[in-house]
Amino acid sequence: MALPTIPYHQVRDDLWRPLAGASRRYTLTLSFLCAVALWGLIAWGYQIYEGIGVAGIRRPVFWGFYLVDFVFWIGISHAGTLISAILRLTDADWRKPVTRAAEAITAFALMIGGMFPLIHLGRVWLFYWLFPYPNSRLLWPNFRSPLMWDVTAISTYLTGSLIFLYLPLIPDVAQLAEHAKGWRLPLYRLMALGWSGSDREWHALERAMKLMAGIILAVAVSVHSVVAWDFAMAIAPMWHSTIFAPYFVVGAIFSGLAGLIIALNIIRKTMHLERYLTPHHFGNLAKLLLLMSLLWLYFTFAEHLTVWYGNEPKEMNVFGARVRGRFSTEFWGMVIVNFVIPFILLGIKKLRSITTATIASVGILIGMWLERYLIIIPTLSLPRLAAASGRYSPSWVEISITVATFAAMAALYLIFSKLFPIVSVWEFEPHEQEEE
Amino acid sequence: MSLYLTGTFADKAEAVQAIKQLKANGYEPADLTVFSDEPVEFPRGVLDRPSHMSLAVVSGAVLFFLLVVAFVYYTEYNYTLVTGGMPIFSFWPTGVVFYEVTMAGAILTTTVWFIWESGLLRRDKSIPVPTIEPEVICLRVRCGAPAQLETAATVLEQAGAQNVGKLEKAA
Repeated sequence: MALPTIPYHQVRDDLWRPLAGASRRYTLTLSFLCAVALWGLIAWGYQIYEGIGVAGIRRPVFWGFYLVDFVFWIGISHAGTLISAILRLTDADWRKPVTRAAEAITAFALMIGGMFPLIHLGRVWLFYWLFPYPNSRLLWPNFRSPLMWDVTAISTYLTGSLIFLYLPLIPDVAQLAEHAKGWRLPLYRLMALGWSGSDREWHALERAMKLMAGIILAVAVSVHSVVAWDFAMAIAPMWHSTIFAPYFVVGAIFSGLAGLIIALNIIRKTMHLERYLTPHHFGNLAKLLLLMSLLWLYFTFAEHLTVWYGNEPKEMNVFGARVRGRFSTEFWGMVIVNFVIPFILLGIKKLRSITTATIASVGILIGMWLERYLIIIPTLSLPRLAAASGRYSPSWVEISITVATFAAMAALYLIFSKLFPIVSVWEFEPHEQEEE
Repeated sequence: MSLYLTGTFADKAEAVQAIKQLKANGYEPADLTVFSDEPVEFPRGVLDRPSHMSLAVVSGAVLFFLLVVAFVYYTEYNYTLVTGGMPIFSFWPTGVVFYEVTMAGAILTTTVWFIWESGLLRRDKSIPVPTIEPEVICLRVRCGAPAQLETAATVLEQAGAQNVGKLEKAA
């Protein structure tokens, strides 16, 4: 049944409405999230003051929660690139209400993920030593080191993601500038760069976005490959694998999609955007999520089968600890939330809905965090030299910082959605409403 | 001094007709500007805006690639690391750095070229800009003389334009 078309002024009013004022619930939520984020900053400050020893990382587990979080957040950042860049390049129309929400996730997740190498540094105030610049100490970064690769990859990806988010925002902020008052007016005017809506501007914007989509896609794949090579370049049990890069890229897209579905559902409910973020969008995202779940299972199976068949003793130590040893609860829990639950909830058409997609996504986020934990901790706990084995348990500092990053992500997202339309107004063409 | 005339169209086909007629009357594409609140795609040949953005982006990427290779090569020789008999400069282990900086070059060139090609930040402030209404295409015509103004107005009206009028710079 054809339902009436949403008129343009209605689209604009609906998408601009969340920008006006701040409800009591919004203020309370933001305050709570900022308080949790502040607690994380205090914990970090304590670590800087007392030294890295206050974290639970000990010989031989030198990479703990901080590296798990780093890989996790870089993975989440892939939401924006996949949805936005691929769908822009393929001219998929359904992406339009989804892209900005996705691009914002990329930018904020990268900012948070990029902080973890700094948090993990013993003396963070010397972080700038990672950058190549002429100096009197004759110290220079080693360009051959995968950690140096991370610096260049994440810097490029963050720059690209911020520009990719900003460019399609220009027409919207130009329109907002015409109606804004107070402190918002100079902000929007500055960001609009004098946009007038001429055909030259539109042509340039569309060309730039097509090019940026291609570039950012190539960068996104490389970034998570580089993160994988941080591990794979080491001859450590269950790390030195040729499929680690694609395995990480698949995992990143998988967790990114899950993060996006959760964010979109919260936006839909809290901002009353049910007419713009429809079951059709969630259905398409759920199908993509199911596909990524199957791909993830395939890579996980291939990785573990090769190790098991090879039966190399040091690798089997780690394999055994994961599959039937002290990490087996986390391992099988990960398989259940990353594959079994999504397969049932999203694979059976009758069960597939916005709610089930969100439930599956929450599980996937937990599962993907566990996956990174299982990649890092068992291998470091059980190195090739058996006498060097050790255990790892996170300290309150690491747990506080980890929890704080989730709060910081949500807070940044809330602030962004109050400043800018979370659905692109100019890209959203008035259309026939879909039946629920 | 140039004079400016605008006409608004509710239908894209009418705007296309007006642009074709104006071009037939001797107006250059540079004299015509379309304003809208969403991108309007015209058929090829109506109001083409040639672009060198792709070429510029590739050039920017190549430039950054050459710069980063030179930078890494010279710094690795000037600040030598102990490499255990391996070559001081080796292409493969530094390939990721080259790749990422090359891509950064492409990203920055795209941004700079977008700002240049769109005319943002370098717009002549003496040229008036019409206010855009939603779902309407506004065509601005630059006329060299008052006589041209009349011709343009007739063409716009014949094509079906509404609100045809001289465009003054806002106070």
